[in-house]
Amino acid sequence: MSLSEKAIVCACEDVSVHDVDDAIAHGFADIESLKRYTGLGTGPCQGKSCEVGAMRICAQRKAVPPQAQVPFRARPPLVPTSLAAYAGLPGEVTGPRIATAGLRPTWGKGPHPLQPQAPLPDRVDVAIIGGGIMGLALAWNLAGRGAGRILVLERGYLCEGASGRNGGGVRAQWTTPTLIELAKESIEFMGRFAQELGINVWLRKGGYLFLAHDQETLSRIEYGADLQKRYGLPTRVIGPGEAGEIVPQLDTSKFIAASWNPEDGVVFPWPFLWGYADGARKRGALVEPFTRASGIEVSDGRVRAVQTDRGRVAADRVVIAAGAWSPTVARLAGVELPNVPYRHEIVSSEPLKPFLGPLVSMLGTGLYFSQSMRGEIVGGMGDPEEPPGLNQASSLRFMARYSRALSELVPQVAAVKLLRQWAGCYDVTPDHSPVLGETPGVAGLLQMSGFVGHGFMMAPAVGRRMAEWMGGSKDEIFERYNLRRFAEGRLIQETFIIG
Amino acid sequence: MRISLDGQDIEAQEGDTVAAALLRARITTFTRSIKYHRPRGPFCLAGSCGQCLMRVDGVPSLPACRVKAQEGMACERQNGPLGVERDLFRAADFLFADGLDHHHLLTGSRLLGRVALEIARRLAGLGELPVRVPAPVRGELRVVELAIVGGGPAGLAAARAAGARALLIEREARTGGAELLFGAGPEHGAGHAGLLLDAECVGLYANDTKVPGNALLAVRHRDRILAVVAGRVIVATGGVSQPLPFPGVDRPGVYAARGLLGLSARVGRKLAVVGDGDEQQRCAEALGKRGYDIVLVSGVPRRALGNPVKALDPGDGTRIRCDAVAIALPPAPLHELASCAGASARFDGKGFPVETDQEGRTSVPWLFAAGTVAGKPALPSGEIAGSAACR
Repeated sequence: MSLSEKAIVCACEDVSVHDVDDAIAHGFADIESLKRYTGLGTGPCQGKSCEVGAMRICAQRKAVPPQAQVPFRARPPLVPTSLAAYAGLPGEVTGPRIATAGLRPTWGKGPHPLQPQAPLPDRVDVAIIGGGIMGLALAWNLAGRGAGRILVLERGYLCEGASGRNGGGVRAQWTTPTLIELAKESIEFMGRFAQELGINVWLRKGGYLFLAHDQETLSRIEYGADLQKRYGLPTRVIGPGEAGEIVPQLDTSKFIAASWNPEDGVVFPWPFLWGYADGARKRGALVEPFTRASGIEVSDGRVRAVQTDRGRVAADRVVIAAGAWSPTVARLAGVELPNVPYRHEIVSSEPLKPFLGPLVSMLGTGLYFSQSMRGEIVGGMGDPEEPPGLNQASSLRFMARYSRALSELVPQVAAVKLLRQWAGCYDVTPDHSPVLGETPGVAGLLQMSGFVGHGFMMAPAVGRRMAEWMGGSKDEIFERYNLRRFAEGRLIQETFIIG
Repeated sequence: MRISLDGQDIEAQEGDTVAAALLRARITTFTRSIKYHRPRGPFCLAGSCGQCLMRVDGVPSLPACRVKAQEGMACERQNGPLGVERDLFRAADFLFADGLDHHHLLTGSRLLGRVALEIARRLAGLGELPVRVPAPVRGELRVVELAIVGGGPAGLAAARAAGARALLIEREARTGGAELLFGAGPEHGAGHAGLLLDAECVGLYANDTKVPGNALLAVRHRDRILAVVAGRVIVATGGVSQPLPFPGVDRPGVYAARGLLGLSARVGRKLAVVGDGDEQQRCAEALGKRGYDIVLVSGVPRRALGNPVKALDPGDGTRIRCDAVAIALPPAPLHELASCAGASARFDGKGFPVETDQEGRTSVPWLFAAGTVAGKPALPSGEIAGSAACR
């Protein structure tokens, strides 16, 4: 047998020197992006055998300055460790808790060493604050409509915020017609994302299975299924027996019914951002990572400019699409949003051969899990004790709670080892519905936030509709979901929130 | 003692890990890689690299180099649906000689994209779901003033300086760290500090429990996790063996030199030791004492040949024949425990030592680092950190 000439850097994920060079050539030289783009360091060894080799290549190629030669964020467990072990953690770990602070950036204080050097333009037509999937989808759509000069400001690397930290679930099972429509269109677009934007997002339609543990929840899923059927979804309420046929590993005594839509699915989140960013740039938009918005100038009831750590940019319209950071950004313009950030945590298991088709979620506890295209069980669980705050640090408490809940529902996974945990922030509004459209009192300041952890799966449609609305088309969602509703008491309750 | 591999009996010796028993039986292909199905065998032999994962008694992807062989243990190789020794999916490695760019593979066609998705889905993953459901294992909580992670020379020095208020946590069954590989026992013990052996720290968090203390450590002790709340923590986790990216380095038969020093079996007689400087000299000398014939190879070889590797191509037209290759690079600081808690670490050309001040303080106020992990000699950095962490 002849020898293949690959020089492997990361043996866990089969990443070669060539792959690292390719990523650097695509602009993914900072270690967090390099990790995500190549997959290095995401396997069972978690980077202990490849991170140094990869950085040596980056340093030799002078792809990153010394200040940026830092490790990627290490993620516990540092050695693969079973759910059974975490599930046994003592009550003090999962009991009453105190708030903790988040982590500082790995590169230290000040702007990222890879902040682009080129000056920003003096003036743009639209400045979008937040380079997550919302802002990037909007930029791509706007640029496609010839909406003038578009600038996207992202304070970190692409994927640093919630768009790069979610579990990749996409579903049309919602309980408000608008969200059903937005999700339907988005999932349809995800199916042709690769052809439109030239990068694979690995949409796998394995379905979503929502489990109901009591009568009240059963009524909710019945209401949802009825509504969804009217909007053309194949959602059905099924019994534990049928759910057990879809996922044989479930302990069917733990729930009384399930809502099942076989057309929902899971995606690989990161390439969405790269694809949209690349597509927007090809259409002439500026997408600027490592660039922070530090001020928003407002005068005479109109937005005038954005101040950044790379200078001032005058803009006719400024869009706040900063996810959980949106209230902080809005405050720069003197605007108060009712959104509150909450940390949500996720953990990924060792890669297993495919056994789990759908994303399964237990309504009530907020436990959810699915199997990624790489074979990992990726899951999370909400925490009623979680204090509000912007915090992307991980906790041991989550590992214990998640491991207990998952191994009770799916006993066979107890000996599966967990590999890597991380956290991101939900952007939670009082009625669990988004904030969209004009800002009362500040003309030109537009809101695109408040998606409560599910913005990712709506973004393709929201981006399209917002671009068309900004171009002058009428679209009632930008009225209905306006910030005014909170002052006027017109809340739009969405109840299918998980995690 | 006998264990089995894919149903075949293998003789194991007392004290062998599964990896040692298999290597002694001249089995070098332990698994197939996840993407290209390249043959893989153990590299680091210290539980860090993930190249020797195997199904053991129904539990998937356990590191064969860390599992002690026991009578009747059933080991199975993974990710070789048509046989691990001759895996036809290896074709992917040759078909995509420059690498398989999964981001841009078949993006032009929706239909072909779906086909790729179905194939990728079926080939994904390493192990099958476990069969057995383990009984729940209750962990417990310990509260200490100072937790010291790592019982090598730096951690031991810190423990002696800190005294009875400290708990020293060591992942092996004895203290001494990497020095044990070179035949030196620790000159001094842990003093009056408490000692927790066979205990591996898998996570370090800011303490969010109501139990007073800054830090919360997740410590894997046998099959359970101890939660350790500590006022302060000293990380003295040492280093981890590194491969060198040249073609063939990932093949069976290429080992970390320090890994071979800790292995109860020998992997042939003639060993090509690749590396530079002191580490190469020191490892070569120690391996020589284990009965290996040593060939020193400087610089980066052009490639490794054979499966298992039987020769190196140094790039000058010659061939260096050998039974196995040992890579002897200075161990890279095992910074992960400190950096997952937010401590800064920075590349120095060989690894990412945790940044510390003169007293061993990291960028996190309650967290200290000493020894290799901080890029400092174990002595006096361990003693200094041990004293400073008690003030």
